[in-house]
Amino acid sequence: MCRVNALELHDATVTRGGRVIWRDANVSVAPGTVTAVLGPNGAGKSTLLLSVLGLVSLSEGSLEVLGESPRRGNPRVGYMPQSRREADQGISGREYVGLGYDGTRFGWRRGGAREKAAAVQEALSLTGARAFADRPLRTLSGGQRQRVALAHATVFRPQLLLLDEPMAALDLAARAEIADLINLIRDTTGTAVIVVVHDLNPLSSLVDQVLWIARHQIRSGTLDEVVNESVLSDLYGHAVEIVVTPRGRRVIVGLEEEFAHPHPHPHVAGHDHPPLDEEAHEHFAEFYGDDS
Amino acid sequence: MSLWFLLSLAFVQHAYYAVTAVSLAAGAVGYFVVLRRQAFAAHAIGHVGFAGAAGAVLLGLSPVVGLLVFCLAAGVLIGLGGAALDDRDAVVGVTLTAALGLGVLFISLYSGYADATYSILFGQILGVTWADVALVATVSLLVLVVVSLVYRPLLFVSVDPSSAVARGLSERGFSLLFLSLLALTTVVAIQIVGVLLVFSLLVAPAAAAEQLTNRPLRAMALAMGIALVSSWLGLFLGVWIGGPVSFWITALAASTYLVARARVAWRERRLATKVA
Repeated sequence: MCRVNALELHDATVTRGGRVIWRDANVSVAPGTVTAVLGPNGAGKSTLLLSVLGLVSLSEGSLEVLGESPRRGNPRVGYMPQSRREADQGISGREYVGLGYDGTRFGWRRGGAREKAAAVQEALSLTGARAFADRPLRTLSGGQRQRVALAHATVFRPQLLLLDEPMAALDLAARAEIADLINLIRDTTGTAVIVVVHDLNPLSSLVDQVLWIARHQIRSGTLDEVVNESVLSDLYGHAVEIVVTPRGRRVIVGLEEEFAHPHPHPHVAGHDHPPLDEEAHEHFAEFYGDDS
Repeated sequence: MSLWFLLSLAFVQHAYYAVTAVSLAAGAVGYFVVLRRQAFAAHAIGHVGFAGAAGAVLLGLSPVVGLLVFCLAAGVLIGLGGAALDDRDAVVGVTLTAALGLGVLFISLYSGYADATYSILFGQILGVTWADVALVATVSLLVLVVVSLVYRPLLFVSVDPSSAVARGLSERGFSLLFLSLLALTTVVAIQIVGVLLVFSLLVAPAAAAEQLTNRPLRAMALAMGIALVSSWLGLFLGVWIGGPVSFWITALAASTYLVARARVAWRERRLATKVA
């Protein structure tokens, strides 16, 4: 088992199209841990994953992935993109997972069919996708598709697994199932998992570390450090409330305007006519870098 | 004249050799056309080929030369301009109309007999020479060998480009390669069924096969088989009953697709009633 950190970012800055996405980031991800990445749309969460994959390079600082510099097609890194085209295909889940195993190999096959079938079967069993593995992908439900996609991303036994919003567009039960599955994959294979999410609730019992990306910075901390109202309101630029359930779980709820009195945003103060002074506007633009 | 006599004629035998080679290549490439949702590109490349053929005739060259140059250029253009699967339609559309405009110009400039143009549009299967057979067979073989070598990565990029790129494959590279293969296949398929009916070998058999199995290798083999049977039977019916061979081939390939769809619908309904 490799004990070197899954991820090491030192003073890292990424610039795309002349615009700084985030700068001076210092992050480590220990092997076998689950790290959640939070942040508003366009803050650079997916960019972080792309830089780990070697598809986006740093403009400054250093990045080490499993002890080496990032490179495209690193067979030790698994990745499940958020939007994939496989969902409307007629090929079976088993064939799709098979592409995760040897889909990058050119040429005619020289043996190894049995090993491949065994590896695919093992990945499908791990993610609980065996029951529907032989059905065409386009006939699967959202949750079933994510199970197949997780098998596809883990069939070659990566040591670092990157998941980009694996719970988007799933219902509550399916989100909980995917969270359990992430935990199971981590425990069984010992892989480190970095998962981009919008909703921390389903993962709250299993994350070891939370990264939050906003205002061109990446900060890291434990769940307790991040899940408090001022950090989260600041993070989303929208007031949130944390409710503790009778069983002691914390649930994050977004607040409507009338209840919101968020501290850091002067422009929210007057609802009817937000002040248009330069400073407030700049503040706003910086936060939602992408949209302005 | 007996049927056996007809089938023993040299031009009929040439036709059989040619359709065999073309059907195999078109079935294999066609599977990826269906998988990648690139039927529009296949359509466009054929029509661009028409302009190329008309231009070649105008210059006094063999239409095949014009077909090859224009189809390959169109393949490269579409491959480069619309590598990402989402922004392709506009690139294909503009390439298509620009080439068709050229084709109209070339035909209006050409004052000779328009027979060559007609055979490009509708195929000239019963007019293939030994030289044509050799060309068609070589190109088809080349296409099949390349497809078999890049089969797995091409399938990966076609099914799930974002994962494939993260695993180190180049989406643009495969887009270019595939469209070049498609262009070559289109050139030889046009010899048989013509520009307007190139779909009958490139898309219909693969679309039918894709309905019938969820295993890519099997679907590809099935597409090749359906293309082969449609064109053999179509040729036979054309010689035996009469009527244009390309009509028969198209009718057979299209009906296979209809039968496949009907079969899937019937199976789904049976499953639904079983559950209910």
